[in-house]
Amino acid sequence: MCKYKFFGLLALMLSLLSANAEDNKLNLFIWSEYIDPQIVKDFETQNNAKVTIDVYEDAESMLAKIQGGGDALYDLVVPPDYMVSVMTHLELLAPLRHQNVPNLTNLDVKFANPPFDPGNKYTAAYQWGTVGLYVRSGDEKLEPSWDLIFDPAKQPGPIVLIDSVRDMFTAALKYKGHSLNSVNPKELLEARDLILAAKKRCISFEGSVAGENKVLSKQAAAAIIYSGEGARGMAEDKGTRYVIPREGSQIWLDSLAVLARAPHRDLAEKFVNYILDAKTGARLSNFTRFATPNRAAIPFIHPDELKNPAIYPKPETMNKLEFVHDLGANTRLYDELRTQIKAQ
Amino acid sequence: MKARLPLQLLAVLLFLFLYAPIFVVVLYSFNAGRFGLAWQGFTMTWYHTLAGDSQAIAAMKNTLLLAVISTAISTILGTGLGYGLSRFQLRAGKWIDAILHVPVFIPDVVMAVALLLFYALLRKWLGIFELGLTTMILAHVTFQIPFVAIVVRARLHGLDPALEEASHDLGADAWQTFRHVTFPLMLPGVLAAAILAFTLSLDDFVVSFFTSGPGSTTLPILIYSSLKRGITPEINALSTLIVMASIIGTVALMLVQRRNEHV
Amino acid sequence: MNQQGIQFGEHLTPSRRRWRIFLTIGPGFFWVILFLIIPLMAIAAISFFARGPYGEIQPSLTLGNYKRLAGFGDFGFDPLYPSVMWRSVLLGGGTAIFCLGTGLPLAFFISGLKVRWKNVALTLVVIPFWTNLLIRTYAWQILLAPESPLSRVAPYPGALAVFVGMVCDYLPFMVLPLYASVEKLDWSLAEAAADLGANGLNVFRHAILPQIKPGLIAGMVLVFLPATGQFVIPDLLGGAKTMLLGNAIQQQFGSSRDWPFGAAIAMVSLALMLAGLWFLNRRRAEPPPGII
Repeated sequence: MCKYKFFGLLALMLSLLSANAEDNKLNLFIWSEYIDPQIVKDFETQNNAKVTIDVYEDAESMLAKIQGGGDALYDLVVPPDYMVSVMTHLELLAPLRHQNVPNLTNLDVKFANPPFDPGNKYTAAYQWGTVGLYVRSGDEKLEPSWDLIFDPAKQPGPIVLIDSVRDMFTAALKYKGHSLNSVNPKELLEARDLILAAKKRCISFEGSVAGENKVLSKQAAAAIIYSGEGARGMAEDKGTRYVIPREGSQIWLDSLAVLARAPHRDLAEKFVNYILDAKTGARLSNFTRFATPNRAAIPFIHPDELKNPAIYPKPETMNKLEFVHDLGANTRLYDELRTQIKAQ
Repeated sequence: MKARLPLQLLAVLLFLFLYAPIFVVVLYSFNAGRFGLAWQGFTMTWYHTLAGDSQAIAAMKNTLLLAVISTAISTILGTGLGYGLSRFQLRAGKWIDAILHVPVFIPDVVMAVALLLFYALLRKWLGIFELGLTTMILAHVTFQIPFVAIVVRARLHGLDPALEEASHDLGADAWQTFRHVTFPLMLPGVLAAAILAFTLSLDDFVVSFFTSGPGSTTLPILIYSSLKRGITPEINALSTLIVMASIIGTVALMLVQRRNEHV
Repeated sequence: MNQQGIQFGEHLTPSRRRWRIFLTIGPGFFWVILFLIIPLMAIAAISFFARGPYGEIQPSLTLGNYKRLAGFGDFGFDPLYPSVMWRSVLLGGGTAIFCLGTGLPLAFFISGLKVRWKNVALTLVVIPFWTNLLIRTYAWQILLAPESPLSRVAPYPGALAVFVGMVCDYLPFMVLPLYASVEKLDWSLAEAAADLGANGLNVFRHAILPQIKPGLIAGMVLVFLPATGQFVIPDLLGGAKTMLLGNAIQQQFGSSRDWPFGAAIAMVSLALMLAGLWFLNRRRAEPPPGII
């Protein structure tokens, strides 16, 4: 073959290979059922890009995947609040260049500049919500309690526990009036025993979406899930309710973050800015039925949703909600307990 | 043989047992109801949803690509291995045999995490092997090679050496003998081994799960993560298609093996 | 079959022979070494490392992981992992024995069929074998759902449901090698034994069993070893409530992000496998030339 043709071919191949680096693709790693596919499609059309979405069911698995090699493959992740400090410690996140994300100013003052990421250096609030109970509704007026799970006498039927260690311990620790960030061995062991007893009576451990589906399909009478799944479930089946137990529960904030070695950093920041847009933010929350941290989006949210206590808890409930913090080396305690629970 | 009836009964029960799951999946892929066992009418909707599901289609593409490429590589390498082990006596033969059998007996999860770690280390030191289709192909070839080698070797064991001797006697050199005598005789075995390797790759979940990256989701991984959210009829539809493909593949394999025996 | 230096009448010089061996066996063998044996050695290595506070691997040598496996965890002594291992061995062993108990009669049944039906029966056994494990397993979720009549026997989720799923998955692995041995059975030995006055049980024990031993061993190896390391079936049919060896490893490499500890568990499972393999091999008369 002619020398020139060969080199031409080689050059073409090389350019095709390197074009992969910063062409119009975006790799999003996000919780399942956490984004409106139409929002993604519109972004693709507007930017002539192709977005690949991979999903996960729990935050720890996401971190495991990123740590185990995903940090140069994915562009965007959606870590929960307590995980952001871990990820910054492990240098997994890239700082957000604020000039590329002007819509950051749309965030509500409560969710801008969060304690785990001062100045929104790495993250932009995505959605927030709570952990609670999803039940086939009984008495509307009765304020439900975690004893539906932990007290055999009050158990409404088959129950589903949540397959995420911090969330499961939220239920047990709050039931006994402790902080859900406790590292007190006595409190933790007490919580473990509660969960072990509940495990014997439960059908299974599931993620939030699976728990919702089990209640919807009438296989379970109660499940521990997140508020968005609860609200969506309530919309689908009027006979169910998502409630925050009276002993209190967990409030969480998920954020969008760009990964440190993201192959398409510019496009990723464009996406963050796009999500923070008022109308897009509202579309997002209208789809996921989680609460929006975007102040500018509020006017575009369905009024019914704004009044729905499952999505936007009343102020008196808000006082009983606690954020999860990363516990550093003490995370091992929870991990050990989780193994103990699963292994018995 | 006396007492045929209990044996026949047991056999029928066992076959029912083995096929019940397949039957259920196929049946419920046509169920109009979204939840539960109640039959709510026949429908093809879920197949329509499936056709429009870009994630499922992408997964299908990945699965096939992965299977084809890994089968090609492993068939070549494994056939060489099987041929070599069968034709050459080696002092280290027993050790090679033992090492070869490791991927067969090892629990998939151990092999999967070993590869995950290996790729992580390589990435750290050499900057190569980001998780994705490539890493999955390499992983699949690793567990396919022993199976290919075993099948090819078994095939070669059954061949009459007189045919190859005759070829040499008639003046052919080693390569000619191989090309015109050994390889054609070996071919049914190689084909069977290739089909075996292909099905192993299609079927694999655990190893793929640990070594996959963005956009390299395969059908088993897709099914698993969907299952984690709850069974949907769309999954039943997808599974039915996969089951049909497996059945066709298996029957093909059996037919090839039948031809094996007639040679 | 091959004399030194002569192969099918062709004279092979030692260097030529070495070159051919290298070309044929070399690539495949080195691939397995590179992509399996070396990674396994890496696993062995990091099982002696520690986990950093944020889940990184810290290259500081320690026996901590093995101590934790032996039961000395953060909350005092608790034979957690030994019990996990024991339960896995029980499940694997139970599955193998049950598969043997049902697979052997099935093998005899198929062997007794006319030739045409034999192939049909074998194909029927092999088809589920090649159908995706995930699909067959989750189908049991449907079959054993609360509304189903079968759930009264083995409710999903539950331990018995896991057992059902395991047997369904591994039965073909047991039947095929058993059938291979049963096919080659010399019934004249059994007849002779019967003629000499042995009762049914003795005929089986002394005339039949020794002959099918290779198939039996192969079947046990193919079922017992992988079954102890299985994690998908207990996960899907057990409601994620039980922890077995496979789940334990998956968890440590997944959400717990403690790779060194997961590696230690993997090493122990490997040791268990090797022990099982060694034990079963000692009972082998002669290794069959191939599993299939």
